[in-house]
Amino acid sequence: MTSGATQRPDAAGFWGWSSGSAAANALRVVGILVAILVVVQTVLVVQARPQDLVTGFRGMVDIVRRAVPPDVSRLPAALWPALETVDLAIFGTLMGLVLALPLSFFAASNVTPSRAAYYLARGVIAFTRAVPDLVWALIFVTAVGLGPFPGGLALGVHSLGMLGRLFAETIEHMDMAPIEALALTGARRIQVITHGIIPTVLPSLLGISLYRLDENIRSSLVLGFVGAGGIGFQLLTAMNLFQYREVSLLLIVTFVIVFSVERLSAMLRRRLV
Amino acid sequence: MLQVKNVCVRYPNGTRALSDFSITVKTGEFVTVLGGNGSGKTTLLRCITRTVKPSSGEIWVNGSEMTEIEGEPLRRARLNLALISQHASLVRRRNVLANVATGSLGRHFNLWTALGGLPSEELEAGRNYLGKVGLASLEAQRASTLSGGQAQRVAIARALAQKPQVLLADEPVASLDPEAANEVMRLLVDLATNGRLAVLCVLHQVDLAYAYAHRVIGIRRGRVAFDRERADVSRAEIEQLYVGEPA
Repeated sequence: MTSGATQRPDAAGFWGWSSGSAAANALRVVGILVAILVVVQTVLVVQARPQDLVTGFRGMVDIVRRAVPPDVSRLPAALWPALETVDLAIFGTLMGLVLALPLSFFAASNVTPSRAAYYLARGVIAFTRAVPDLVWALIFVTAVGLGPFPGGLALGVHSLGMLGRLFAETIEHMDMAPIEALALTGARRIQVITHGIIPTVLPSLLGISLYRLDENIRSSLVLGFVGAGGIGFQLLTAMNLFQYREVSLLLIVTFVIVFSVERLSAMLRRRLV
Repeated sequence: MLQVKNVCVRYPNGTRALSDFSITVKTGEFVTVLGGNGSGKTTLLRCITRTVKPSSGEIWVNGSEMTEIEGEPLRRARLNLALISQHASLVRRRNVLANVATGSLGRHFNLWTALGGLPSEELEAGRNYLGKVGLASLEAQRASTLSGGQAQRVAIARALAQKPQVLLADEPVASLDPEAANEVMRLLVDLATNGRLAVLCVLHQVDLAYAYAHRVIGIRRGRVAFDRERADVSRAEIEQLYVGEPA
């Protein structure tokens, strides 16, 4: 006979401790120790020195003091690189979208025509995604020369990997019943894709692409650092010449671009999905 | 006409889903299949549509043998068969008329239909099919906005757009309220008798089978328990199908 208060046999404390299994508790201790070790080695490897922030504070204040007010007279000269930055992102996103869409049908396990095609598509996606866009930009700058075009190519190839993976996962998670119903009517594979799969996943694919555009805007800002076009090149030049008032103007322009595209993309995603 | 001759289905784990199973559904007949869970009803339909390959036996749909064909011949043979499942399985983001017209895609393969277009003559025909199922006014409505009964009637219209000789229905009224269920059943019977289709309908509702079927086939443990005119099947025989079967 138990006393008044009901006791759950599996009752566990806030941290998941239970009196039931000593082995489980020992495992938790080991887990916590490992987590602490990971944090400690991270701090050591990155050579974190918080005191340097204190000693460097005066230097930072000096830079900020020299950066205000922003040099508005440089605004007309910043507009073209700003447009280039936005266009780089649009070009890269569109290129990634056009390449990733067909590839994702091979890379989705539920609709791929063969295992070989699946692994090949997944390999292409993994490779283009694993190489950072900045590295792709360096490669394309070497291949086609300086300017925005290699930047657009870099964003396009990297976006192919990022979009390809997300598109394939979206297709893998879709409801297959309407697709199977369409296939049973005698429709060909391409018809099943265009009449069944694409209409079903299109809002998600557009939402993902808009999010990618948002990401590509941010990426295109730094592509200029390696000579691949956009406002990044102006920013790097101004910093190298200690033109901090121009730097602050370019940062404001950058903020306006990023914020505007982010809001526009969020608004469109809400309408589409 | 649909003929299933001595079909056996044995799954890789050794389970026998169908054993020496033979039935015939003639043009103009509305036949219901009754049986407990796991008795082999759905496996039978999956065999006929060839989403499951029988271990042995033959399946003939309008003169074409289905069991040994693959690829393009199988796709062509499937044009003669339409399947309506428990859930309407419509493309939810397309409108009603487009969903209906997709039933005809198997007969139209060109650049337009490969890119997502639908033939104008099939859209016109789709309007007629929607009229037959009483939903002409909803042609522009998105499929995701339909009620269960409406969606099921759109699925029937899509099956008609396929112009099949054999119509299969897998528990088509399982998720519908009684009024909608009766409407769908009346429609299926009408398609068999006036539309000259061979209709094979798997049901769980004994009352509906009694009310509408021309013939009732009982399945128990993958075998035909009985196959008779509705008037010749007793309630006791039907109840026997469910005795000792998993719920």
